[in-house]
This record gives sequence, structure tokens and C-alpha cells, in this order.
Amino acid sequence: MDKLHLDKHISQQFDMDLEQLQTKLLEMGGVVEQQIIDAVKSIENADSQLAEKVIQVEDDVDLREVALDEDCTMVLACRQPTASDLRMVLTVTKMTRDLERMGDEAQKIAKMAISLHNNGAAPGGYEEARHMGALVQQMLRSALDAFARLNVEQALEVARADKQVDREYKSAMREIMTYMMEDPRSISRSMNILWTLRSLERIGDHTRNIAEHIIFLVKGYDVRHQSVADIENKIKGA
Amino acid sequence: MNKSSQNVTLEKVNQSLARRYRAEKRFRAYGIGAILFGITCLVVLFTDIIGKGHSAFFQTHVYLEVTMDSDTLYIDDPTDPQQIAGADYLAVVRASLSERFPDVSGRRDKRALYALISNGADFELRKKLEADPQLLGKTFGVWFLVDDDVDTYFKSRSDDGEGGFDGRLNEKQITWVESLINEGVMESRFNTTFFTSGDSREPEQAGIKGAIMGSLFTLLVTIALSFPIGVAAAVYLEEYAPRNRFTEFIEININNLAAVPSIIFGLLGLSIFIGFFEMHRSIPLVGGLVLTLMTLPTIIISSRAALKAVPPSIRDAAYGLGASKMQVVVHHVIPLAMPGMLTGAIIGLAQALGETAPLLMIGMVAFVVDIPGGITDPATALPVQIFLWSDSPERAFVERTSAAIMVLLVFLISMNTLAIWLRKRLERRW
Amino acid sequence: MEAVIQKKSEKQGIDEVMPSNEPQDIQVGDKTVGKPFADNPKMAMRNVNVHYGDKQAIFDVNLDIAKNEVIAMIGPSGCGKSTFLRCLNRMNDTIESCRVTGQFILDDQDIYHPKQDIVPLRARVGMVFQKPNPFPKSIYENVAYGPKIHGLASRRVELDEIVEVSLRKAGLWEEVKDRLHSAGTGLSGGQQQRLCIARSIAVSPEVILMDEPCSALDPIATAKIEELIAELKQNFTIAIVTHSMQQAARVSDRTAYFHLGKLIEVNDTKRVFTNPEHDLTEAYITGRFG
Repeated sequence: MDKLHLDKHISQQFDMDLEQLQTKLLEMGGVVEQQIIDAVKSIENADSQLAEKVIQVEDDVDLREVALDEDCTMVLACRQPTASDLRMVLTVTKMTRDLERMGDEAQKIAKMAISLHNNGAAPGGYEEARHMGALVQQMLRSALDAFARLNVEQALEVARADKQVDREYKSAMREIMTYMMEDPRSISRSMNILWTLRSLERIGDHTRNIAEHIIFLVKGYDVRHQSVADIENKIKGA
Repeated sequence: MNKSSQNVTLEKVNQSLARRYRAEKRFRAYGIGAILFGITCLVVLFTDIIGKGHSAFFQTHVYLEVTMDSDTLYIDDPTDPQQIAGADYLAVVRASLSERFPDVSGRRDKRALYALISNGADFELRKKLEADPQLLGKTFGVWFLVDDDVDTYFKSRSDDGEGGFDGRLNEKQITWVESLINEGVMESRFNTTFFTSGDSREPEQAGIKGAIMGSLFTLLVTIALSFPIGVAAAVYLEEYAPRNRFTEFIEININNLAAVPSIIFGLLGLSIFIGFFEMHRSIPLVGGLVLTLMTLPTIIISSRAALKAVPPSIRDAAYGLGASKMQVVVHHVIPLAMPGMLTGAIIGLAQALGETAPLLMIGMVAFVVDIPGGITDPATALPVQIFLWSDSPERAFVERTSAAIMVLLVFLISMNTLAIWLRKRLERRW
Repeated sequence: MEAVIQKKSEKQGIDEVMPSNEPQDIQVGDKTVGKPFADNPKMAMRNVNVHYGDKQAIFDVNLDIAKNEVIAMIGPSGCGKSTFLRCLNRMNDTIESCRVTGQFILDDQDIYHPKQDIVPLRARVGMVFQKPNPFPKSIYENVAYGPKIHGLASRRVELDEIVEVSLRKAGLWEEVKDRLHSAGTGLSGGQQQRLCIARSIAVSPEVILMDEPCSALDPIATAKIEELIAELKQNFTIAIVTHSMQQAARVSDRTAYFHLGKLIEVNDTKRVFTNPEHDLTEAYITGRFG
């Protein structure tokens, strides 16, 4: 944010190209966010119709990914962006990939919902799924917000929140394992809910990736595969 | 912009279009008119000069049988060169003429008869005899130059004997000339005298060789001095001189000098070279010095322009390799500027060749019969010769003046051609 | 969101050039950011100020050029990068109004020392210019000129060898070996520029200055010159001024950004083109003014 001026190019067309990328990415993010909300809802309510819708939306997400990648390629080829512009384009391609993966995970959740609908409810874990769902959805919204405003602090928050998702996932997993031990017949249904939780955890990881990309976009250095504390130190040190 | 405003614009443009075309045509017509005027003037000038001058390249000769009678010549010892040199050749020519027109008697008529032949005829005979002493006592035919009046008459008369310009000829002389013409012994031959002899009071004996040689020596002095001095000055001013008030002052004055009337240079030469250094008058050396002074500004200015035109990238390249200033100038700048400098110099010299006024001031206007053999022999120059002849009363000099102008023009054109050729030849692309 | 896109697409169409798009809020600092100094400098410049008459062209520039590195100098027109480059072998001496102050050290030697002769200096610091400027002489003569004036070859054979080696180094030998004695000006633009490079390396300089060497060339010829620069790096230290940021990014190890006569930033090229430190550098290389 401190030195990112994404507009004010001599070529206004370039400004517009970059803005388009941002806008389209945010739109895609919105679609994926809704997908996640719907997927979690379909698990909670064993709503197979909603789950079907989530699966259908995935096609739209795929198309958006391809279109965004194409746009990025065009900008790279025509404008040879450098510095912040280059980072913006790179960030957009990477974020697109992460969002698409999230969409995949949401699709998986929806499939679990259909399975649960067909095979009956799991013995537990719904509460955890709802909670984790709300958490990752909040994270994703926050991450997209951070991207729109190029807010590093907010991105850092998102990265921190991922820790919590991981913790939630671990405790939920333990809980479900106790269910499975209690009643081996419910294993397959419990597995469904476990997979759901697993997918939500993955979505959390992708959201963290997005947060890292945003930090790269704004600050210019790569913070992947580092602890949040290290990232914070790096940002403060620079 | 919407459709209706486009239409309005288009309409307005179309309206003004005809006016613009007319203006364009008028503008072009002015240019063509100017060129036509120039060409017409040139054509008139050339027609006039060539029309008047072409006849000077031919000279009327008369064929006479002469007997190299040793008695008439007063030669008793043909081996004595002094006797041969001092012999009375005129008597032989006169005898020949008397023989041809036996009924002419009386001193007056005889003198009139003898006047038909150029009084340079005896030199011709002497030359013949000196070349071949065997001719003594023999009779042979010789083509003699006729007097300029006869020449004019012969050239101006039509084939049936009408309309001849008689000038100073009396009726008897005309009858004699007519009879010679009828006998077919009078004819026009190429005028070698014009190119091989110096000036003379007698038009038929006057030539331009003296003037050409005079001009040549003068120009040699001018080239030898003005080109090196001019180039050196230009190189210094352009490449070395610091830009300050002093060099600016010099620069302005060089430009001023180029505009000074040439006669001033003549006065300068008169007072300095002749007055102060006590050089001789009328010699090509002084003429060359004066013309050097006159052409120097032209050469300096054109050389500087040529030096300025050398692309700075070439200088940069040489400096960048570590060439010293002199190396840059000598290896690169001067060779590249050479065509321009040469052209400037040749045009300056052509100007000098046609210059009369300063030469008048230093006495190169004298009547010089001998052909100069060096830069310290008295001489005259081609344009001065033209000036002298144009002032002479004899009608035959009119055609000679024009002929000399033609020769001068040929020289000027060939010098300019040389300049163009040199430029083409030496010019290199970079 | 939709409404925004709609509004944008109305403006779409042609690239409009904005006359003064310079970010007003960015101040030019006095201190160069990044890494202007090197551990093993071939040339070291300190407190360089250059004036043209009353106008100051360069303000307090401090910069090291490391041995065997390619340093690119970029910046908007009139930023002083070419002026600075030409100071490095005193080409500005020929401009009368130009006044250069500061220290220029080439291997512990002050090149602006009053006793320093510019002839040996220019033999050590060669230069290649924007426009290919071969002498209107033969290819051979062009390359042999430098060695000749410096007396580098005593015999014809030696000179022949210098010419061949230089042309080989400049990647031109194969193309011209059969017509060494035809005019250098008859070559194509790219060949001419490589001839000029051969000419400058014929005197075995230590540093080669290149002033926008590719600005008059087509992309293929440019690529060849860039390739050549990469090879020359083995033996020479190269400082190159360029208007093409992509070129700077491709050929150089470090990039120096000049702005209005000040050296704003010097950094590793990789750094400059992905994440420049200074806002002005960023604004320039991303095409926000220039």
C-alpha cells in the first residue's frame, strides 16, 4: 500500500487492464466464497439440491480461472510489466489457482453432502464443520478484502487465522475419531464429515496462500513457507 | 463529431478547395516565370556572345605566290642567321602583290594594295626561311593573313559580293579584294593565331594566349596561397579556437571581407605589394596575391561550413578511441570535409578568374605583347584582355572580345564542372 | 462492481498519453537508495556534479562500478545518465560549457587529475555510441585505427591478428572476413554497431561505455548486441545507458536509476525490476511517467 500505485500509468489502457484483472479476480473470489458457504450449508442440512448447485457452479469457477489466466498472459505479453505491475499479474495468476483449488474443495464438500444425504447423517462433527466453515469463509472474505485494499495487516490477520483453523481441524478430527471408535458402523458416514473438515482445512491453507501472495504483491518479497512470526518480523524489519 | 457537423466541414472544405487550387497554381506559375526569365536572359546573352564571337575563330587568308629572291631580300650569305633575320621579307610580299595586280601604280595605290595584307606577313616568311634555308631562291605559295579590314569585309559580305562592310577600305581596295575572291585565292581558315599569340594592335594578329597564360600564372599563385591558408585558418577557427569575443570578432570580419568590393583589394594590393614591398607592376605574382586576399574569405567560409558538416559522431568515434585532437582533425575531419572545401576553393578561384577590377588597380591592364613565361613576367589576364579589347575601336576586335568571353566562359564552366566532379568523386556517405 | 466495469469499458479503446502524470507526492531524496557501492570497484565516482553553463545536470552522484560487471543506467530523457556516462572517459571535455567536479577513480587513479592525459584514459575506457558511427573507411581500417594510433602493433601481421581477434570477439568475423577491405559503412546497422564494438575492443580497454547502443537497431540486431554484451562481460567492465528497460533487465547485473540529475537508486537488476526500493524507480519502470 505504501508504494503501490496501480493506476496512473501513462497508458490508461494498461491501468484498465490491471483493474480488470483485480475486478475479475474479486468476482471469482465472491463466487468461490458463495460456493463455500453453500457447501457448508448443504452439509449442515444434508441438502442435496444445494450441493448439486455447488457442483454446477464449479464449472463457472473453472471458466473464470481460464479466462483470468488468459488475461494475465495478455498483459504479460503486451505490457511486459515490471515491479508492482509484474507482482500484481503474478499474484493474480497464483490467487486464481488457489481460488480454483478452493472451488474444488467446495465441490468435494458438496459431494460429501450428497453422500450424507443418501446414506444418512453422521454421528457428529456438524457443529465443527459449521464453525470451521464460518471461519474459513470469514478468512477468505478478509483475504479478498485485503487484496482489494492491498492491506498487509489484514493479510497477516488471515495468515494468523489459518493457525486457528488448523487447531480446530485437529480437535474436530480427534472428536470424530472417538465417534468412529464408538460405533464402527458409522465409520463411512464419519469419514464423509472428516473429509469435509479436511477440505475446509485445505481451504484455510489456500486462503493463507492468498494472504502470502498479497504480502508479496504489496511488499515485494516472498513470504511463503515461513511462520507468521517470521513474516511479521520481515515486514517490520524492512 | 456527429454526421451533420461532418457534412458542414466537408462543405466548407470543398468551397475553399477551388481557391486553394488556384493559389497553388499561381504560386507555381511565379516560380516557373522566374526560371523562364533567367533562362531567357541566359539564352540572349549566349546567343549574343556566340553570334558575335564565333567568327573570330576563323580568319581570312589569301594565297600568294612568293619568290624568295635573294636580291629582293638582300641576302648574300644564306648561312648567316643575322642576314636571314634582318632580310626585307616585306619586299617579297609586295613584289608578289605587284605581280598579281600589275596595273596598280602610284605610291598611294601601291600602299593601299600592300595594306590588304597583314603587316605581320613578313614574320611568317621569315619563320619559313629560318626553318628551311633551302627555300631561298625558290617560288612557292603561301597563305597570308589579310588585314583586319579585309577580314571584316570578307566575313560580312554575302556570297554574291553584296553587303560587305567596307569600313576603312576604299573602292579600289574593294575591287582588288573582289578580284582575289573571284580568283578563289581568298578563304577562311581556322584562326590558330587567336590561340597562339599574345596581344597586338592589329586585330588579325591578336591572340589570347598571353592573357590565358597570365591568368594561369595568377591563378597558380592564388591556389598555392589561398587554399592552404584558407584551410588552415578554417581548421583553426573551427576546431581549435576558443569561443570568445576575439574569435567572434575575427569571424565577423571574415564575413565582412567576403562582401568587400574587389576593387578595394586592388587598392590594398597596390599600396602594400607595389607601394610598400616594391614589387613590379603588372606581374602575375602581385595579381595572385591580390586575388588570394580576395578569395580567402570565400574559401575560409566554405571550408568552415564543410568542417561543420562533418558529423559529430565521427569525431566522437575517434575521440572515443583515444585519438588526439590533431589525429581527429587530420585523419577524419579534413578528409571528410575535403570535397566541400575543394568545391568552395574552386568556386572562389572561378570568381578570381573572372575578376577584373583588382587587376586594373595593380597594372595588369598593360598592353603586353609577349607571352609571359613565369609569375614575374609582365602579363595581363583574360578578363582584363576582354576589357581592353572591348575598348578598342577596330571592328575586328568586337568579335575577338566575344570570342575571348567565350573562352573565359569555357574555363569557368569547366572549373565549376571540376568542382562538381570532385564533390561527387570524393564525397563519401557516412 | 458491474457498474464500475461498465464505466471503464466506455473509456476503453486507445491508449491515451497523459502529459504530466508524474506523482506529485513523491520527493526526490538526496541520498541514493540501494547499493551504489561495490566491494571491488573498477571505477569509483564520488560527489560528482556536472554543470552545463549555469544549469546543473548532475547532482552529487556517488557510484561504484564493479569489476567485470554490467551496470545499466536508466532514467527518463534528460536525467543525466548519458552525461554521467560521458564523464567516465571525459568525453564531456569537448563541450566547452561543461564543468565536471568530483572524484572519478579508475583503479586508484584519478581520471580528472590535471596531469592525466585523456589519450591513455580513452584507451582504457572505450566507448560505443548511440548511432553506429564507423569511419567511412574499410572494415579493416576501422578496427585497425585504434591500435594504429596507439602503436599497439609494430608489424602488419600483429595488426592483422588484432583485427581478427577483435572482430571475432564482436561476433562479426564470420560475416565480414571475406570483405575486410570493403567499406564499413556498407554494413547493416547492427553489423555497423558490432563493428564499432570491435573497433573499441581492438585497443583492449578495461571498461567499455555504451551509450544507448541499440536504440537505432532492429530487434534482431539488438538481440545480437545483447548477446555480445553477455560475452564481453567475461573480459570487460561495461556501463550501458539504455532507454529500453527490458534491455537493462536482460543484460545488466546492477541497474542505476537517474532522475533529474540525481542518482535515485542503484540495486541488483533483479531487485530493481521486481521490487524497486524507491518510489520514483517504481514509477519509472512501470511506465507511470517518463
